[in-house]
Amino acid sequence: MTSPVIRLTLRGVLARKFRILLTVFAIVSGVAFVSGAFMLTDSVKTAINSLFQELRGDIALEVRTPIAFGDEARAKRDPVPDALASGIKAVAGVSSVELNITRESTIVKPDGKPLKTSGPAFGISWVGQNGLDGRTILAGREARGPNEVAIDKASAKRAGYVMGDTVTVVGPTGKGEFKLVGLTGTGKTSGGGGASVCAFDPVTADSFLGAKGLADSIYIGLEKGASRSTVQKDIAKVLTSKYEVIPGEQSAKETAGAINDIIDIFGKLLLGFAAISLFVSAFLIFNTFAIIISQRLRELALLRAIGASSLQIRLMILGEALIIGIVATGFGILGGVGVSKGITALFNATGAAFPSATITISTRTIIASLLVGIGVTVTAAMVPALRTSNIPPVAAMRPEMGFTAMQRGKRLVAGAATLLAGIALLCIGLFVQPGGAIGILGASGLGAILLFLGVASLSTSFAAPVSAVISRILPFPIWPMTRSVAGRLASRNAQRTPRRTATTASALMIGLALVSTVAVIAASVQKSFKDRLQGSVTADYYVTSDGFQGLPPAFAEKLAALPELGKVSPFRASTAQINGESKQIGAVNVDMGDIVNVKLTSGSFASLAKGQILVHRDPARDLSLTVGSSVTITWQNGTTSKLIVGGIYSDSSIAGNWLVSLNVLAQASTAPPVDFFIGAKIAPGINIDVARAAVDKVAEEFPSAQVQDQAEFQKSREDQLNQLLIIVYCLLVFAIGIAVLGIANTMALSVYERTREFGLLRAVGMSKRHLKRSVRWEAIIVSVFGATLGVTVGVPLGVAVSIALPKSFVNGIQIPITTIVFVLLASIVVGIIAAIGPARRAAKLDVLEAISAI
Amino acid sequence: MTSTTPTLVAAAAALNASKIYGKDDSEVRALDDVTVDFTEGQFTAIMGPSGSGKSTLMHCLAGLDTLSSGKVFVDGTDLSGLNDRELTVLRREQVGFIFQAYNLIPTLTALENITLPLDLGGVEVDQTWLNEVVSAVKLESRLTHRPSELSGGQQQRVAVARALASRPKIIFADEPTGNLDSRSGAEILSFMRHAVSDLGQTIVMVTHDPVAAAYADRVVFLADGKVVDEITSPTSEQVLDRMKKLGS
Ligand SMILES: Nc1ncnc2c1ncn2[C@@H]1O[C@H](COP(=O)(O)OP(=O)(O)OP(=O)(O)O)[C@@H](O)[C@H]1O
Ligand SMILES: [Mg+2]
Repeated sequence: MTSPVIRLTLRGVLARKFRILLTVFAIVSGVAFVSGAFMLTDSVKTAINSLFQELRGDIALEVRTPIAFGDEARAKRDPVPDALASGIKAVAGVSSVELNITRESTIVKPDGKPLKTSGPAFGISWVGQNGLDGRTILAGREARGPNEVAIDKASAKRAGYVMGDTVTVVGPTGKGEFKLVGLTGTGKTSGGGGASVCAFDPVTADSFLGAKGLADSIYIGLEKGASRSTVQKDIAKVLTSKYEVIPGEQSAKETAGAINDIIDIFGKLLLGFAAISLFVSAFLIFNTFAIIISQRLRELALLRAIGASSLQIRLMILGEALIIGIVATGFGILGGVGVSKGITALFNATGAAFPSATITISTRTIIASLLVGIGVTVTAAMVPALRTSNIPPVAAMRPEMGFTAMQRGKRLVAGAATLLAGIALLCIGLFVQPGGAIGILGASGLGAILLFLGVASLSTSFAAPVSAVISRILPFPIWPMTRSVAGRLASRNAQRTPRRTATTASALMIGLALVSTVAVIAASVQKSFKDRLQGSVTADYYVTSDGFQGLPPAFAEKLAALPELGKVSPFRASTAQINGESKQIGAVNVDMGDIVNVKLTSGSFASLAKGQILVHRDPARDLSLTVGSSVTITWQNGTTSKLIVGGIYSDSSIAGNWLVSLNVLAQASTAPPVDFFIGAKIAPGINIDVARAAVDKVAEEFPSAQVQDQAEFQKSREDQLNQLLIIVYCLLVFAIGIAVLGIANTMALSVYERTREFGLLRAVGMSKRHLKRSVRWEAIIVSVFGATLGVTVGVPLGVAVSIALPKSFVNGIQIPITTIVFVLLASIVVGIIAAIGPARRAAKLDVLEAISAI
Repeated sequence: MTSTTPTLVAAAAALNASKIYGKDDSEVRALDDVTVDFTEGQFTAIMGPSGSGKSTLMHCLAGLDTLSSGKVFVDGTDLSGLNDRELTVLRREQVGFIFQAYNLIPTLTALENITLPLDLGGVEVDQTWLNEVVSAVKLESRLTHRPSELSGGQQQRVAVARALASRPKIIFADEPTGNLDSRSGAEILSFMRHAVSDLGQTIVMVTHDPVAAAYADRVVFLADGKVVDEITSPTSEQVLDRMKKLGS
C-alpha cells in the first residue's frame, strides 16, 4: 500500500504540471548557473593543469631566484646568469641543462599586421631537436644561427607562413627577420594553448630577446636512474642562497594555479549571479505555492474534513516542492553543461584561451546543485505549507471562509521589523565594515535580503491603495483605465488580492531594485572616474599595449629619442611590501609630472630624481607619512629600500598610490622590465600631425602597441569601465527576465483561478477583447507596482553603497534619471509581455464550461 | 421535543449548543441553545428553512467547526476537550461525510477516494467490506475513473461509499441529493436507508426535500437556530404538512 500522502503528492504535481512549469524554469536557471560555475572551473582547471604538466616535459629540476613574498606565479623574478649552467652541468646525475628565456615576441603576418593570439606571444630559447620542455618539433628542424626561427604550427598556419618563408618577428629589442626552418607543437598537438611561440637558438634568443646573458631560469634533465632529491641537494650546494632549486612540476603548478585563480573569479561571478536568480526564484516558488494552495483550499479542507492531519497536508505540499526541486535540479545540471560550454566559447571568442575541455561533472557539482535546487524550492514552499494548518476543515463546504490569515497589524509589525533589521545590517556592513571583505559582504548581503523581504511583506499592506492610484494615473492607452469596464475590473482584482499582487510584484521589485542600485553606483563611479580623468590626463600621446605583457622598454627609449617629442615617460609597476602589506609600486621618470597630473598637494615631482617616493594621500594618511618622513619598501626579490617621501598627491586614478623613479626600481630588481603605458608630450613648436606621424612610425615596429591621443586614451579608459558595467547589466537583465516569468506565471494562475468569474463575465456579454484587456491591465498594474517599489528601494540602496565605496573610487553621487524613467516605462512593457499568455488563455475559455467550473 | 435519552449513550448529541457569528449589531445566532441527540442505528433527517442553522449544527457535531457555547458529543466524547490532532483522528475514524457537491479529490480515482480516510489513517482496507460497499453503490465498473469522468450521481455514490468504508460511528450528509435529479437522488437515499437498516449505520442528513426526509426514521425541524419540532417514522405528506405549519 503506497502512502496516501505520497500518492496525493504525485498526483498533485501531475495535475498541475503546466502551472508548475514556469516555476521550474526559474529554479532550473538558478541551478544551471550554480552547476555551470562548478563545471566551468572544474573542467577548465583540469585542462589547464594537464596542459602545463605537458609543457613541463622532461624537466626534472629548475633553478630560479626566490621571491621574498607574494604570488609565485605572477612574481617578476630577478634573472639567473647563464654562467651558472656550466656549474650545474658538472653535478653528478645531471644529463642536460637548458636556459629558459621567455620574452614577449609577436609574429608579424605577411601583410604587415601582427598575428593576434588568444594567449601570450612568446619568443623562447630552444636547443636541439626536442628539448627538455614538452614542446616538440613537428616538421623541419630547430633554428640554428642568427637568421633562423621555428614557430608553432598553429600560428604558422593562421599567419599563412610555410617552411622557408621569411618571418618578421617583433621582440623586446625591435624588429627582426628570420627564415622559417621548423614547426613546433606541444606533444603531438600543434597549438600552445592559445599562445604563439617563436623559437630561436640560445645565442640568438639572448641577443634578440634582450636577455643579455641572463636567463629566466635554468631547466635541468636527469640521467636515467639518478635520484632527483639527491641531485637537487647537490645542485643547491654549488649555488648560493640567491637561487633556489625546485622540482620541474612546481612552477607548472604555480602557473596553472594562477590561471585557475582567474577562472575562479569567473566561477564566483557566476555563483553571485546564481544567488540573485535563486533569490528571485524563491519568491516565485513561494508565490506559486501560495496561489496553488489557495486554489486548492477546498480540496485541502476536504482532506482535513475526512481525517487528514495537518502534518499530512504539510508533508504533501512539501513533497510536491521536493519533486519540483528534484526535477528542476536535473534540468538545471543539464543547463549547467550548456552554461559552462557557452561561457568557454564566449571567452574564447573574445580572446581568453580556455583550453577546450570535456565537461567534468564532479560529485561536488551534483551535491551543490541538489542542495541549492531542492533547498531553495522546499524552503520557499515552507511558509505556504505551514500556512495550510490554518485551513479550517469547514472551508470544504464554505470555501469563502478561506484562511484565517495573519492579521494586518501583525504583518505590519513583522514587515517593519524585518525591514529595519535589514537596514541596520546593511548600514553596519557598509559603514562600520566589520571583519574585512567577508564581514562587509556578509552583513550587507544579509541586510539586503532582509530589506527585500521586509519590503515584500510590507507591500502587502499598501498593494491595494497603490494599485488604486496606479490605475487612476496610468493614462493608457489615451484615457484612464478606470474609465473602461476592463480597466475597472483589473484594478479591482489587483486590489482584491493585495497579498498576491504584492508577492507577484516582489519578484520584479527585487530585480529592479538591483538594477537601480547598480545603475546609481555605475553612474556615480562613471562620473567620478570621468571627472578625475578629465584633470589627470595631460600628455599628448599615450601608448598602451593590447598584448598580455605590456610594452618592451625599447619602445620608450625610441620615443624619447624622437626630436618631435618633448617629455616622455614610461609607467612600470612592481610588487613590493610596505608595512607588511603587498602594494603595487609605480615607476616613472621625472617627466611623468607633465604627462599624468597626479595633483601634488605637497612636495615636488623633482624629488623623484633624488630617489624619493611620492605617496597618494590615502595611504599617506593611514601610515601617517608626510614629506620628509621615510618608508621602507621590501621588493619581491627580498631587497629593501628605505625611501624619503618627496611628495603627497591626491589623484591615484592612473598612477596608483606609490611612485618611484625608474632608477630606484632598476636598482632594486633586475627582472626584465615591462612598461604598462608610455606617455609623451609634443616638443615645443612641432606640428601635431608631424609628431603623430613620427610616433606612429616607431609604433609600427611594435605591433602590439596602440597609440592614442588624449581624447582617445580617455575614451578607451572609460570604455574599459563601461564594458565591465555592461556585463553586470546583462546579468541583472536576466534576473528581471525571471521576474517577468513570475508575473506571467501568477497571472496565468490567477486566470485559472477565476475561470468561473471570467465565464460569468463572458456570459453576461463581455467580449474576448475586453477580457484580454482586463488581464493585461492587471498585469500592468502589478508590474508598475513592482517597478515603483524596486526603484524606491534600489535608488537609496545605490546611494548608500556609493557613499560607502572608497573616495578614490567614488567621490560624488550621480542618480541616472533617464535610466530610472526608462526602467519604469519598461515595466509597463514587462506587464504587457507577461500578460500575453494568460490573456489569451482567458479569452479562450469556453463560456459554458467556465460557468460550471468550481 | 420528546427525546429524553441521556446524551452520553447516543451516537452523537448536542447539549445547549449555541453558535454566534459576528458581534453586537451584526450578531447572528446560527444555533440558539440547541439540545438534540441522534440514536445509534437510526437515520435522522434535519429540516428547516434556509438559514435556520442546519449546516452549522452538522459542522459542529462533526468537529469541523466549534461552538460559541454548549457541548457536542460523538460516541460519548466531548469534542470541546479535543485538540486538532484528536479531532483529526475523530473525523477519520468516527465520522463520515457526504457533502452536497465537490466531495472528491479530483486527482484521485474513485477507488482511491473511497479508501482515502483509511489510507490516511494507515488502516488496512477490509476487502470484503469494501467489495460489499462498492457493489451496494454499483460502482464496480467505475473504480478506476477520475471524478471528472463520473456523473454527479456517480460522484455522490463514491462519496457515500467513502463515508461507509471506514465504518464510522456516524455519517453526516448535508443535502447529499441537492444537486441530483430525482432518480439518482432516490438511488442514493435508498442506499443510505439500506446502510442503516441492514448494516446498522447511523446517519444524520440535512435536506429540504420532504420525499428525501421520508426515507428517515426521524425528522428534526430547526427554525432560527432552535429545534422546534420532530416526527418519528415520517411520511412525505406528514413532513410537508409540518413544514407548511412552520411557514417555510
Ligand atoms: N461564517 C459565517 N459568518 C456569519 N454568519 C454565518 C456564517 N455561516 C453561517 N452564518 C449564518 O448562520 C445562519 C445559519 O446558517 P446555516 O448555513 O447553518 O443555514 P442552513 O440552515 O444550512 O441554510 P441552507 O438551508 O440555506 O443551507 C445563517 O443565518 C447564516 O447567515
Ligand atoms: Mg446548509
